[in-house]
Amino acid sequence: MIMKELDLLKKDWQKNNTFEQVSEVDIYKMLHTKSSSIVKWIFIISVLEILLWSSISVFFNTDDYLKNTKYEELNVYFEALTVLNYAVILVFIYLFYKNYVSISTTVSTKQLMKDILKTRKTVQYYVWYNLGMVVLSLLIGFFMAFNYNPEIAVLMDKIGHNTKVMFITILLFTLIIGAFLGIFWLFYRLLYGILLRKLYANYRELKKIDL
Amino acid sequence: MSENLEQSFVQQLKSNQNIIHKICRLYTYGEDAHKDLFQEITIQLWKAFPKFRGDSKFSTWAYRVALNTAITLYRKSTRTIKTVDYEQQQFFISQDDYNYEEEDRLKLMYQAVYQLNDIEKALIFMYLEDKDYAEISETLGISEVNARVKMNRIKGKLKKILNP
Repeated sequence: MIMKELDLLKKDWQKNNTFEQVSEVDIYKMLHTKSSSIVKWIFIISVLEILLWSSISVFFNTDDYLKNTKYEELNVYFEALTVLNYAVILVFIYLFYKNYVSISTTVSTKQLMKDILKTRKTVQYYVWYNLGMVVLSLLIGFFMAFNYNPEIAVLMDKIGHNTKVMFITILLFTLIIGAFLGIFWLFYRLLYGILLRKLYANYRELKKIDL
Repeated sequence: MSENLEQSFVQQLKSNQNIIHKICRLYTYGEDAHKDLFQEITIQLWKAFPKFRGDSKFSTWAYRVALNTAITLYRKSTRTIKTVDYEQQQFFISQDDYNYEEEDRLKLMYQAVYQLNDIEKALIFMYLEDKDYAEISETLGISEVNARVKMNRIKGKLKKILNP
């Protein structure tokens, strides 16, 4: 019975072509309008993310801080870390660009979705890398401050005798770092959740077919 | 040179535009959304056009880009509306051999197809366009066997929608 209905639908579908035709002039106009596809948005947001995080890691430099302490011999390590950081930024930019260029609408639907998600993943890893670096810098910063900064050493002496204050301080730092990461996680969930909800749903559906 | 390319594109698109209209009809609700998706597909086709070498037909190539745009790139959700006002759609049942009984059946069928999800619509679309399973599997990136299995499931789903 369903075949009969489908045949009827097919017959009508192929016969029924009464669309309002778009003129050549209108097509020309369309060629010069801007796309609003999700790939474009992912590209714009990704570039902004990379710019933001790169500038943060460039400007958040520990050099000045270190110069103020009397342990300049540690500088070598920090310079090595900075160089490594730049290298990582460049690798990520290269990977992002490579993934973005490989996005093509002429491949299969599944492949296209995979390519888009890959681009997005690259940037996601970049953001996590930077968040990791921020947390690491904070930890190193605390450690350095406690160990090498004479002013804090005095403070430490006072706190050190009071385990309660010490405990609360550590707890507070942990909470701050945790809240910081939580806000970022939420922000990204919202941002990409809105953008990619449909694509994810369709991708899951396609993958399910081939299970 | 680039002007020639543009001219050749516009002409080919103009004579093949019904493919795009059909996809817009299946994936959007209302005239504005139809135009919006048509425009986005046109932009995507134009962006991909330099890679179109002509070893396949323009129409075959356009199918894939248009479907990919509707399923993957187009941002406006098509899922929110569950009940569709049939009269608003561009389904003008052909005027010759006018038949009320048939028209009612067609209406129900179109409404049923509308309740499918994006991927199921793509399969039905290619089925209605008489594409074979090899092409369906290649377009969507799934295996031919599984495309067949899925198509049978969709038929079952349509049947269920028609006779709940």
